[in-house]
Amino acid sequence: MPATAGYSKEMAVAVLDGMAADWTRERLLALVRAELRTEHALDGFVHTADRSAMAIGPSLCVQIVAGSVPGVGVTALLRSLLLKGPTLVKPGRGDVILPVLFARALREVDPDLADALAVLYWRGGARSLESAALARAEVVTAYGSDQTVAELRLRTPPTARFVAYHHRVSVGIVGRDALSNDEVDRAAADVALSVALFDQRGCVSPQVVFVEEGGLCGPEAFAAALGEQFRLLETRLPSVAPDPGEASAQHQMRGTAELMAALGEVTVIHGGDAAWTIVLDGTGELVPSAGGRCVRVRGVSDASDVPALLTPFAGHLQTVGVAGLGERLDPVARALGSVGASRVVPFSSVAFPPPWWHHDGRGPLLDLLRWVDLEGA
Amino acid sequence: MGARSLTHLTEELERRFAAGVEKPWPADEFNALAMDAFAIQFEAIPAYRGFCEGRKRTPSTVSSWHEVPAIPADAFKHLDLSVGEPEVVFRTSGTTRGGDRRGRHLVPSASLYRASLLPPFEAHVLDQSPVRIVSLIPSPEHSPDSSLSFMVGAAAAAFASQAHWFVDAGGALDEDGLRTQLGRSSSTDEPVLILGTAIAILHAVERFETTPIEPLPDGSWIMETGGFKGFDREISRADFYESVTSATGVPRGRIVSEYGMTELLSQLYEPVLSEGLGAAGVFVPPPWLRVRALDPVTLGEVGPGDPGLLAFFDLANVGSVCHVLTEDVGAVVDGRVHLQGRIEGAEPRGCSRAMDELMASHRPSS
Repeated sequence: MPATAGYSKEMAVAVLDGMAADWTRERLLALVRAELRTEHALDGFVHTADRSAMAIGPSLCVQIVAGSVPGVGVTALLRSLLLKGPTLVKPGRGDVILPVLFARALREVDPDLADALAVLYWRGGARSLESAALARAEVVTAYGSDQTVAELRLRTPPTARFVAYHHRVSVGIVGRDALSNDEVDRAAADVALSVALFDQRGCVSPQVVFVEEGGLCGPEAFAAALGEQFRLLETRLPSVAPDPGEASAQHQMRGTAELMAALGEVTVIHGGDAAWTIVLDGTGELVPSAGGRCVRVRGVSDASDVPALLTPFAGHLQTVGVAGLGERLDPVARALGSVGASRVVPFSSVAFPPPWWHHDGRGPLLDLLRWVDLEGA
Repeated sequence: MGARSLTHLTEELERRFAAGVEKPWPADEFNALAMDAFAIQFEAIPAYRGFCEGRKRTPSTVSSWHEVPAIPADAFKHLDLSVGEPEVVFRTSGTTRGGDRRGRHLVPSASLYRASLLPPFEAHVLDQSPVRIVSLIPSPEHSPDSSLSFMVGAAAAAFASQAHWFVDAGGALDEDGLRTQLGRSSSTDEPVLILGTAIAILHAVERFETTPIEPLPDGSWIMETGGFKGFDREISRADFYESVTSATGVPRGRIVSEYGMTELLSQLYEPVLSEGLGAAGVFVPPPWLRVRALDPVTLGEVGPGDPGLLAFFDLANVGSVCHVLTEDVGAVVDGRVHLQGRIEGAEPRGCSRAMDELMASHRPSS
């Protein structure tokens, strides 16, 4: 798994532990109850005061996943299996091992259920294979770039439901309360971990961290503390040597940032051979991003200024990691929600949302099932 | 150190460029000019100076052009890097990686650019002169900020009996005009030189596949540049040549590929006209440009013939920064580039979208 996903062994362990913690009876049952109120709705009509309704999972759920964040494929297939939906999963190129191992393990414990699951890999975009799968699906889910999702949507029959998880951007806000001399290292450690897990490839990974000015530590001191935490993480959770494409993108990004730094527009802190880079950006100009642990730090005079800065990303915004907002958390979260954010969460929990999260703002099970109402009974 | 002025060095280069591309420049002469250019650029461009100082490479510590810090091509998207007041500003087309953010290259001497582009064009593209040019690249009047349009305009002014322009600044093809012109060439049996981006040529070829044209007169030929990115279907280079030949009658051996970018003022050409198909995929630089293939991780020079990221030291860039690291991959053999294309891994590997790409797509176009 480390080799195919392009992660260090330590990172693979951390990602697997974080993901698999949710693949338990208790956590999955909680997901079903969060969305359907009771799991019995999947077995028959459930009567409430004003109606009787039954939930029916898809007759075939085809899930096409792109990318290389391990665990995404298993989490996806679990959702439709939970709804008794026979499932075909095409995992992402870097996430083939886990769904295959999961399917084998499932066969050992429950062969009947395993018969309802197929994990097949093909290179995304193979039209004849994909068209055959799409033609028979009742529900199609697509995880990938905007372009991948758009192409699959076009090719999905009009009678099938299409559930899209297109690419997302996530950010963070560090408030003044977390910028005292006592707190700053802990905040920096949490931010560093949220960036480092998945090596910044997750939809939840913060790409820009807004730091309030006027605290005991300013954005510069925070950036320095963050660099120290990235340095420490290289032992505990090493970043993997970048592949040639990532290395090239990193050279372009760091070099450009260093030229800008020479003019005093930005400050660059990076790990040399280690793939972490912090760009403290004083201009509002976004320097190019690259793979690896690359994060921008931007000062803001107040956290309440952040939502307006995010409006250009509305259609792609997802998670906002937060620290040190105190009682301002509620109003700031409301404003973030109104510009498109679907999740506001402490940095320490950014990487692993619980099974019952509103994934991209929607119920992940409700998206897959249909209801039958029984009236007059 | 007796610092030379940009004007002085520009004049010398212009004179040397005019001597043509046939004769290689001795390494020491190239290096002396490169050191002069570095001293000027280090002095005049604060961002570059700081960048070099951060790497402890300054005109007083560096004696060979290999050691001069190369700037990333992406830097042209974010900074103005120019030694003097620009006479012209060229913009990138915005089709490169990193979203649609466009870069710009500030050029202090249009005359030096003209002097650098004509001899390689004459050596590698021109088969006869004067020639009738049919351009699928917008004219310089229509696209004043395109270095490619400037190049075609300058080449047409220098070498063409007539130049006809059939693509406007927005990329729209004047199909009727093109058909009429090519039909006229066929009926008078006068060879034409078609210049175009690969994509513009493909668009024309697609129309010719629907409604064919007469094969072009013997001796006609084509110069194409740029990749197929942005075209609406996947196509291989072999398919490209096959389609072009079958639609126009121009054989593969008379289709010359050009390699260039806004960030570099010099161009490289595939010398198929003079050397035949053995030179397919090989690009020859002019003697004032040196190229190395670098390891993508360490940026150390790879062995001869091994592929790496291409870094160019282009003396025609004397007014901005000469040493530029690209994201193109190729092997360098005897100073020539065996081009492989853009490095892979461009697309994001996870489910997060690069924020600056989104930012760029929301930015009003400049």
